[in-house]
Amino acid sequence: MVKIFVVDNGGQWTHREWRTLRDLNVETKIVTNNIFFDELVKEDINGLVLSGGAPRIGLQETLGNIDEYLEKANFPILGICAGHQYMAHFFGGVAKPAKKPEYGKIELNILKEDAIFKGVPKKSIVWESHNDEVTKLPISFICLAESESCKIQAMKHKNKPFYGLQFHPEVEHTEYGELIFKNFVKLCKI
Amino acid sequence: MFKADKFIEVTISNLKKEISGKALIAFSGGVDSTVCAALVNKAIGKNLVAVHVDTGYMRKNESNDVKKLMGRMGLNFRFVDASKEFYSALKGVDDSEKKRKIIGEKFIRVFEKVAKKEKIEYLVQGTIAPDWIESGGELRDTIKSHHNVGGLPKDMKLKLVEPLRDLYKDEVRNIARELKLEVSERQPFPGPGLAVRILGEASPERVEVVREACFIIEDEIDTAVKKGNMEQPWQYFAVLLPVKSVGVHGDRRAYGDVIALRSVESIDAMTCNYSGIPHDILDRISTRITNTLKEKVNRVVYDITNKPPGTVEWE
Repeated sequence: MVKIFVVDNGGQWTHREWRTLRDLNVETKIVTNNIFFDELVKEDINGLVLSGGAPRIGLQETLGNIDEYLEKANFPILGICAGHQYMAHFFGGVAKPAKKPEYGKIELNILKEDAIFKGVPKKSIVWESHNDEVTKLPISFICLAESESCKIQAMKHKNKPFYGLQFHPEVEHTEYGELIFKNFVKLCKI
Repeated sequence: MFKADKFIEVTISNLKKEISGKALIAFSGGVDSTVCAALVNKAIGKNLVAVHVDTGYMRKNESNDVKKLMGRMGLNFRFVDASKEFYSALKGVDDSEKKRKIIGEKFIRVFEKVAKKEKIEYLVQGTIAPDWIESGGELRDTIKSHHNVGGLPKDMKLKLVEPLRDLYKDEVRNIARELKLEVSERQPFPGPGLAVRILGEASPERVEVVREACFIIEDEIDTAVKKGNMEQPWQYFAVLLPVKSVGVHGDRRAYGDVIALRSVESIDAMTCNYSGIPHDILDRISTRITNTLKEKVNRVVYDITNKPPGTVEWE
């Protein structure tokens, strides 16, 4: 069984991420973002999801012990919303309050094919809920998708299995959300 | 994957270990508390006392129907009419978070009274995941204080038992179907009841208005669904707004309240889209509300907000 933990940054949908993974028969647990990397290694996890959080959570200089996971992990990490913003910031990009925050239904436009979007059409409906966004990509990342008001909706590290998504694949209303999670679970099995 | 039969088996066995002696369940008659009562009843039988509180903010005939339901389920139940206490506690209160906290505390005081009299130590609640998620705490922001979580008084001594904490509504419905409970498809109704469907002060006079409007909306939509004219929405109701607008009634100026019609589609209440109710049904609802409540309401508006950014209820 694949084992993927969800790191809680205080998001409204952290528990939905847990449920989506559980429904995909993944062994999963919600952990606080203060947990030490060694403890995660001891648990022998195959992947990690960094949840969203309240406004400005993803813009902080440090966020729990997440720096340690991003420095040391060789397993896949999926940052969602605040988790995605923090990931960008950690690797040298810029995340700040969005000029046009997005709430609810948005059209996602996939720019580059990638394993995380396997089977997802070029244009699809995703659900958003963000006040902040990534405005400058870190040089070690490539942009995978955009929306009309937010140019960096999805990103991927060039050499590591790290992904960031601004939208929320864990909610029912995101058309291909479950498929995106399935793709992430597959990446964790490798 | 979530399996209802397995969940029922494990939960009943856990409840037997967790509860020693008598327990009280807060029984609203909705899907969550009914499922919870059925599970605890299977675990401890007559040691479970089901308490239904008529807060004065229930829908038309609802408390009476709930009383009958408790009887049909073979529950050892108590019925408390606390409407006067709730009305007086909410007099002059118009802040939505204050309203929710007062209601949460009032509920507990009623339960404590019963618990003291009957020597009960445990309080069982049908709390589900969205309740504690939205109530916030620590890292998580408070969206609204659900009466059964964020509204609990700090000095409460009853020991909480919440077997459905990690579940969402669709999973609770699966359990209800597995247990063959008649409430399995009932639409959700908030614990604070109609008090959070009246923006501003929830006075007894305004409850009557929103209660009738909720009844008309449910009646019209249920009829349309039965006739096959529309799909059953997830949740559909009236909200009484704190603004007045001008109208004309038989060549005379009218100046009355506004009702908002809210109807949404969801699976788990964490994201919703507004329902696309056909125009002829909207028309019937609007005409019936304004003609029935003519002295009070002269305008009906349709809420076309998704969640996010809106929530299902307005408060």
